[in-house]
Amino acid sequence: MAIVIEKSQRWRVFAAHAFLIVLCALVIFPLLMIISISLRPGNFATGSLIPETISLEHWRFALGIPSMGPDGQMIKPDLPVLLWLWNSVKVATLSAAVALLLSTSAAYAFARMKFAGKKAALVGLMLMQMFPTILALIAIHSIFSRLGHTFPLVGIDSPWALVLAYSGGISLHIWTIKGYYETIPAEIEEAATVDGATPWQAFWRVLLPMALPILMVIFLLAFIGAVNEYPVASVLLRSQDKLTLAAGMKQFLYAQKYLWGDFAAASILSGLPITFVFILAQRWMISGLTSGANKG
Amino acid sequence: MANLQFKALRKSFGESEILHGIDLEITDGEFIVFVGPSGCGKSTLLRCIAGLEEITSGELFIGGEAMNDVPPSKRGIAMVFQSYALYPHMTVAENMAFGLKLAGTSKVETAAAVLRAAQILQIEPLLDRRPKALSGGQRQRVAIGRAIVRKPGVFLFDEPLSNLDAGLRVQMRVELARLHVDLRTTMVYVTHDQVEAMTLANRIVVINQGRIEQVGTPLELYHHPANRFVAGFIGSPRMNFLPCTLASAAETGATVHLADGTLLTAAVDARGLAEGAALTLGIRPERLLASRTASENTAKSTVIVAEHLGDTVFLYVKSPGSAEQLTVKTRPEDPLAMGDEVHLGFPAHHCLLFGPDDRTLPRIL
Ligand SMILES: Nc1ncnc2c1ncn2[C@@H]1O[C@H](COP(=O)(O)OP(=O)(O)OP(=O)(O)O)[C@@H](O)[C@H]1O
Ligand SMILES: [Mg+2]
Repeated sequence: MAIVIEKSQRWRVFAAHAFLIVLCALVIFPLLMIISISLRPGNFATGSLIPETISLEHWRFALGIPSMGPDGQMIKPDLPVLLWLWNSVKVATLSAAVALLLSTSAAYAFARMKFAGKKAALVGLMLMQMFPTILALIAIHSIFSRLGHTFPLVGIDSPWALVLAYSGGISLHIWTIKGYYETIPAEIEEAATVDGATPWQAFWRVLLPMALPILMVIFLLAFIGAVNEYPVASVLLRSQDKLTLAAGMKQFLYAQKYLWGDFAAASILSGLPITFVFILAQRWMISGLTSGANKG
Repeated sequence: MANLQFKALRKSFGESEILHGIDLEITDGEFIVFVGPSGCGKSTLLRCIAGLEEITSGELFIGGEAMNDVPPSKRGIAMVFQSYALYPHMTVAENMAFGLKLAGTSKVETAAAVLRAAQILQIEPLLDRRPKALSGGQRQRVAIGRAIVRKPGVFLFDEPLSNLDAGLRVQMRVELARLHVDLRTTMVYVTHDQVEAMTLANRIVVINQGRIEQVGTPLELYHHPANRFVAGFIGSPRMNFLPCTLASAAETGATVHLADGTLLTAAVDARGLAEGAALTLGIRPERLLASRTASENTAKSTVIVAEHLGDTVFLYVKSPGSAEQLTVKTRPEDPLAMGDEVHLGFPAHHCLLFGPDDRTLPRIL
């Protein structure tokens, strides 16, 4: 960066930096607060940002480590937070994978193939998913309850039911991926076809590798969506050991007693898999994958 | 190795018909060039051969077999796209090996074929690079390499040289000609550059607005264009056209009036046309003579611009009796300059006459 900068430009750079620092602080503040709450003894939502005394009681609780009760006995935490986290990861991974599979192939059809009713189908998909999930909650419950009579695997209280329910919400993903496919010149796949590839091979071996960044973004979005989703999970899952973390964490907030500390520790836990998946996916989110295909 | 045959091939996109009945036979091992102005349907015709566009009606045969409903992968063709269309996520070697890999060729055989093609095209040092790290000319070679490793029956080239600089274009043109001599495979080559067409082709197919205007060897088209379009399209600089009317037609030649009243004779058989019929006289710039003195079969004019190119001089002169200008290719010894009066000589046996329907009238040789 050896570009010569004008004096007034330097002030603008300084102002921009100041603005960005304030913005970062605003974004990071809630996270710091949650960490602070989870380390503070007792269950208080308010207090100083830097706790006077640090207590690991909430983390012990969240991680399921027995702690010494007031009567000297070891008490095991009564809520299986780690199990819920595991359930969340399972459901999120599976549903993100299924959503990715469905949306990449559907988007391929919409971007590259000619068929009757294409436009109507695209718009229809979009319109249908514009209604909030809450509206369909009762319907979802009764559908899966009925389904469960015939196929217990996808009945109420089964993680598979949740995977199935989440995998349906892909219209936005289809639109996003379709948009990305359309930026990739069709001639590259045509070249593959002339080279002897079947449509499936052209899709799998030529188009998908070029679309990798958007696939990672979609996987990540679907994963985050599934980890954070509350309404459907709370309706479809019942037994304590099947709950996802988002659904289970509600139990920290009794009517008489809000366990803010435990709640904070558990919510930090739920952020961990997302961070992990993001770091994994980031390696593939590189731009310029199609450069070099055409004349330079 | 395969021949190609088109029978009344038509192609429409929705309502608009782009190719209006193409009839053509291409023999095995021939280098055939499709030329025509931009948008005339050259790429569309090529894509029909490749199977990337469905044929609306008519028939296409490759190697004697009907191909209308055969997918591109089964047609035994290889194509070099106008935009190269390399696989950006594969190395040069993988790009070239892709077709063989799909066909299930063994690893050893594939590697050998890729190496051989790379040697022919002199891209061995680039085999491990991604297309991103190649220059335009190198990408073009890779695109050709990807086509030749598969040993197809027919090669299709869609303006492969159009984005290269002039020097590289000449070099690649020579290499393509050599490649054809080496491989002896049928090649169908699309271009709108008539120099490429003249130098590479065994036969040229001139296409205009979705119709074949003429098919023939480069010299046939140059000396005996079937109509005014072909006459104007083949040859550089392009042929001069002058509007004229028929004065008299005889067994030995025809006399015509130019717009300014000058009387010229052409060695053309115009019998059968009525006296006074509106014709067009065509003469190539290199055949038109410019001199300071009047003689037989000359017309008077003035020089607008003289361009000196070292070994040749192009004179742009006013067309007698019209606002158009004519080009004369002459030698630097003739010291004609801007504004000079000039007498244009029309050698009778180099004049072409085009009838009212723009078809070439038969010449008397
Ligand atoms: N997919 C399509 N849908 C509708 N019209 C098309 C389509 N592809 C091509 N055309 C039309 O067909 C005509 C011929 O196009 P084509 O690409 O064959 O021209 P071309 O001769 O290759 O021109 P150029 O020399 O510029 O490449 C053009 O008028 C173009 O607008
Ligand atoms: Mg074209």
